[in-house]
Amino acid sequence: MLDNVWLIPLFPLIGFLINGLFGKKIKNEGVIGGIGTLAIFCSFLVSCGILMQLVGLPAEQRVFEKVIFPWIHAGNFKADMAFLVDPLSAVMIMVVTGVGTLIHLYSIGYMHGEEGFYRFFAYLNLFCMSMLLLVLGANMLVMFIGWEGVGLCSYLLIGYYFEKKSAGDAAKKAFVMNRVGDFGFLIGLFTLFWWFGSNHNIWTINFMEIKAASHLLPYGGVVTVATLCFFLGATGKSAQIPLYTWLPDAMEGPTPVSALIHAATMVTAGVYMIGRMSFVFIKAPETMMVVAVVGAATALFAATIGTAQNDIKRVLAYSTVSQLGFMFIAMGVGAFTGGIFHLMTHAFFKACMFLGSGSVIHAMHHALHHGHLHDDPQDMRNMGGLRKAMPITFLTFFVSTFAIAGIPPLSGFFSKDEILWQAFSNPYHGDLNKVVWALGCIAACFTAFYMFRLVFMTFFGECRINPKVKDHLHESPLVITIPLMVLGVLAAVGGFIGVPKLIGILPNYFEHWLEPVFELANEYGKQYAHMHEHSHSLEWGLMGLSVVIAAIGIFIAFTMYMANKSLPEKFTSAFPGLYRAVYNKWYIDELYDFVFVNPCKSLGNLLWKGFDVVIVDGVVNGVAKLVMAFSAGLKGLQSGYVHNYAMGMALGVVVIIAFYVFR
Amino acid sequence: METLFFSIVAAIAILMSILVIRCKNPINSALSLIMTFFCLATLYVMLEAPFMAAIQVIVYAGAIMVLIVFVIMLLNIRTESGRRTQHALFLGAATGLFLLFQTWYFLSRSSLTGAKGAIDSAAIAKVGHTELIGQSLFTEFLLPFEITSILLLAAIVGAVVLAKKKV
Amino acid sequence: METIAIPAINMSVIAPEMILSVVAMALLLINVFVKNEQKGYLGYLSIAGILVTLYSLTIGWGAPQDGFSGSVVQDNFAIFFKGIFLVSAAMSILITDQYLQREGCNQGEVYPLMLFATVGMMLMASGTDLMTIFLGLEVLSVSLYVLAGFNRGSIRSNEAGLKYFLLGAFSTGFLLYGMALTYGATGTTKVVKIAAAAQSGMVSSNLMLVAGMLLMATGFAFKVAAAPFHMWTPDVYEGAPTPITAFMSVGPKAAGFAAFLRVLLVALPVFKAEWSSLLWVLAVLTMTVGNITALYQQNIKRMLAYSSIAHAGYILVGFTAGNAVGTSGILFYMLSYAFMNIGAFAVIILVGKKGEENNNLADYAGFGYKHPALGVAMCVFLFSLAGIPPAAGFVGKFYLFSGAIQAGYIWLAIIGVLNSAASVYYYLRVMIYMYFKEPTEDFNWVRLSPAFIICLIIAIAGVMIPGVVPGTILELAQKAILM
Repeated sequence: MLDNVWLIPLFPLIGFLINGLFGKKIKNEGVIGGIGTLAIFCSFLVSCGILMQLVGLPAEQRVFEKVIFPWIHAGNFKADMAFLVDPLSAVMIMVVTGVGTLIHLYSIGYMHGEEGFYRFFAYLNLFCMSMLLLVLGANMLVMFIGWEGVGLCSYLLIGYYFEKKSAGDAAKKAFVMNRVGDFGFLIGLFTLFWWFGSNHNIWTINFMEIKAASHLLPYGGVVTVATLCFFLGATGKSAQIPLYTWLPDAMEGPTPVSALIHAATMVTAGVYMIGRMSFVFIKAPETMMVVAVVGAATALFAATIGTAQNDIKRVLAYSTVSQLGFMFIAMGVGAFTGGIFHLMTHAFFKACMFLGSGSVIHAMHHALHHGHLHDDPQDMRNMGGLRKAMPITFLTFFVSTFAIAGIPPLSGFFSKDEILWQAFSNPYHGDLNKVVWALGCIAACFTAFYMFRLVFMTFFGECRINPKVKDHLHESPLVITIPLMVLGVLAAVGGFIGVPKLIGILPNYFEHWLEPVFELANEYGKQYAHMHEHSHSLEWGLMGLSVVIAAIGIFIAFTMYMANKSLPEKFTSAFPGLYRAVYNKWYIDELYDFVFVNPCKSLGNLLWKGFDVVIVDGVVNGVAKLVMAFSAGLKGLQSGYVHNYAMGMALGVVVIIAFYVFR
Repeated sequence: METLFFSIVAAIAILMSILVIRCKNPINSALSLIMTFFCLATLYVMLEAPFMAAIQVIVYAGAIMVLIVFVIMLLNIRTESGRRTQHALFLGAATGLFLLFQTWYFLSRSSLTGAKGAIDSAAIAKVGHTELIGQSLFTEFLLPFEITSILLLAAIVGAVVLAKKKV
Repeated sequence: METIAIPAINMSVIAPEMILSVVAMALLLINVFVKNEQKGYLGYLSIAGILVTLYSLTIGWGAPQDGFSGSVVQDNFAIFFKGIFLVSAAMSILITDQYLQREGCNQGEVYPLMLFATVGMMLMASGTDLMTIFLGLEVLSVSLYVLAGFNRGSIRSNEAGLKYFLLGAFSTGFLLYGMALTYGATGTTKVVKIAAAAQSGMVSSNLMLVAGMLLMATGFAFKVAAAPFHMWTPDVYEGAPTPITAFMSVGPKAAGFAAFLRVLLVALPVFKAEWSSLLWVLAVLTMTVGNITALYQQNIKRMLAYSSIAHAGYILVGFTAGNAVGTSGILFYMLSYAFMNIGAFAVIILVGKKGEENNNLADYAGFGYKHPALGVAMCVFLFSLAGIPPAAGFVGKFYLFSGAIQAGYIWLAIIGVLNSAASVYYYLRVMIYMYFKEPTEDFNWVRLSPAFIICLIIAIAGVMIPGVVPGTILELAQKAILM
């Protein structure tokens, strides 16, 4: 089975070719969607087979490199088209193909009747292929091809509704920002390649070879430079400060795209890349610190913005940015397993939520369309009370929301708690760890708050949709709800494979599984870490604290978005402490507005409008303007007069000769 | 004595080539060009290359210049009109002068280190310049000599293509 | 009567050049008997000639030999470059007829002139005597001056031809003076003997040789359109008939690099420190000027002109490295550049119609939907130009930059990557117009003739195959380096 690893990216490629070349002729949506889904499903089956085989091997033998064909050989430098199967890439291919299959299936229903249906599936398959190349690549070059490929597909898919100007702009923004990141990636690659080559005559970009030679790398210095460059690449792809603004805009694409690319797979590429090169990153303590701080800042920052958004997909987009921040916290504090674990659980619950929001938008769209209304189907202020009309969507969304908020025993609890505990207890950055941890905790509180705000506004309360079309709100068809249910279940129970040792009801399978991958990194880390012993009671306490924090967030959301609405009676009885508040809702409302909502909203607005628009966009546009001005200046030199050109040449000769002859 | 003569001829050649580009009347330019060619022929003579000198006079100062003058007369090109950009002149002159200075600088600090060939004034006196040129054209520089024919053919074809009346 | 001892001539060394010249001359004669509407057949005849030449090249692979008392050599390096010239000539000829018919200037002489230009390039690549190189360059240039002004009805084309001629002559002056100084310092014009003479400390410390090298470098820099000797490029490329632009942007550039490489690597390796620092500056300047100015262009032909300047810069990066990886990278890149650039120009020709070249970006609005196959082909070429994997442009660029890194020029590689990142913007803009703008035209005049289809298929294969499996071509390129 391991030898057949090349089948995994091949199936989506075949799907892409069939749909891309003949899709227009096939016309039948069932066939097109079926081919697309089947292609990725076959990859999923192969991935399962590979996983099974890996599980059967002893832990130290779970590394396998398959050379497909020799690719670039230049003197002592060699890069093959080769795939690397190890526990880390096995996790990734399972997530990509598994979640990918569900999203393909979902898309058959969601994209029904869209013009360019075949195009959508062709791009989707192409994306999956690129993503699989990215995670399976045995050297940085293959990874880079996947890296570029996913960027390209993301661009194509965000701009899917190309007739909309905003979609085209969003696609462009995503592509340009990703290119900034890609530039960092390439520089990092070159730096590492050059350092190994010129100092030890090891001209390699193969991960396993670098790993074998990683003991030669110094701590800090050139490694810091290289890893910072790689991290720049990661911030582009994974939407971290300062390159995150493209992701919320990317919501212009169809919802399944948001679920697949901008929540579950592509955006996690940066996290994966750091995990893949953990043995290099850990040798640069400064970079690790930067990663952790940027991750924490992004987590909190995006979460605050999320509280002020009314578009259902935008809330989820900022939530994704924030959750990616958590993963980077994990990477930065050396909790690589935790980061990858959160990556996986996040793929489950966030994909479920995105697809759920898609289901809601789908229903809203149909209802509004039916009544010839032009309300925004994505605006949560137009929703409310949808849980009755769409029970399955509601239920799966609700479970996922609990998961992301970190309520035990759902998956998000285990992964997030693991990250926060590691941030608190890991010994790498001294007291800074505690700061990162504190920021993470506040972000977790915000997460619970805005997610429940979303749920309350969308599914609870009274229906704010125009009464004319209220009766046309229906649950989505099975092809949409089945993926939701599967993902909902995964979001609920997915965490059990990584139960902390402390709780101990189950062994921590996930940690054992990834141990051989990150062993070396942990080894290197010990060189400069100052170990502390932490008592079990502290760990229990912090675990409790994180649950309490989540509960506080939920509570605030509840009071704000439920209490001042006409509450169903069972809720009032379930939370008797709130009864009086509900009773006096006008002044509590005022109070909350004054104490919390307004500052929070204005903070969110300030951050969103102020920082995003003025500073980030300003810098990006400023650089662009500068380049353009320079370009215009150069264009001015191009006068069209031959004598000017001849003068330019003569001046060039004069300068060149002056430099070398007058030395 | 020889150096003085060289300097005078060279100065005339330079002066005349400046006149070629500064004269507004094309006929004057053409005549200045003829003068330049004659000066060059004189320099060839001084370098003991009589055949080159003869060719220079016959082909360039003779045939080609006649063609040029004919063309000027047939096309009835008048005195050049339109302005010349002065700033370009100034900058160009400055650049050119600086380039000249540079050339002087590096030439004055270098020497002819190349190994001298077998053909010197004694050999020319003995064998004859024409024959020596013929020999090297058919031995050492046979290929460049042949390539020249292709070059001329391409140039002729090009001239015809650009000039012929009907497509 | 004394007999002249003619040295060993070894005709087989210049067999490819001879075949091609004979074909060209035969075409000149045949041209007289061919009706105006059927001049396209001359194109097919020239392609047949090119194929025969290509075949004659393959015989010499791996068995280097020289001839004409060291004036020319037929080594792998020359053969690889000649392959590039012939491929680019054949592809340009394929797209020429339709364009000339449309513009009403289909004179049959265009094919012999293109072949003569190719002969000139081939002589440049295999010339081991400064004289041969110079004459090859002149044959190339004279043919190109005429070709650039070939569309006599168009003022822009006339202007292009004249500008190219004036500036070309100007730069030739520098080149020739450099050669003369080199001759003065070393007493020979043969590259191998120059290298031998430069071994002695007296010669290599002679300022005259340094100046000679610098002046020759400026002459070649003009030919390959390196900044600051690039300014003719946009005007000439824009004005020249588009198939000629395609031809000019690839073949002469490659020929310039071939001669440049041979002169610097074989004749003057003693000055490696000097010329690599010079090329370093030229590379940075060329890439930056090319890319940044391209950002501003609305005219796609002009944009590709600046892009071709930028590509000269990338190649200079590999040249600066001067090592095996860098040099083989140049060979590889030049070959893939031939495919991608001519492919892109082929699409540009198709978008235009008589009198209206439709070269503005806005003219491409919605083109990708009206002609999906052509749109995809254009995207492939643009991606390759931008250096996005898995197209050949990426592999080539990677090669050039890793050559620079292996030689220790890490900053140069970084500047190169930065530039390449910036370049994506303007290539992408074409795609944005093709796919994300509402079509304003129905593009019903786009007519795909068989010749175009063949050209585009070759171009796509030439971009994608070396990109995905570069092994074979890289091996050839590695065997063709000059060391």
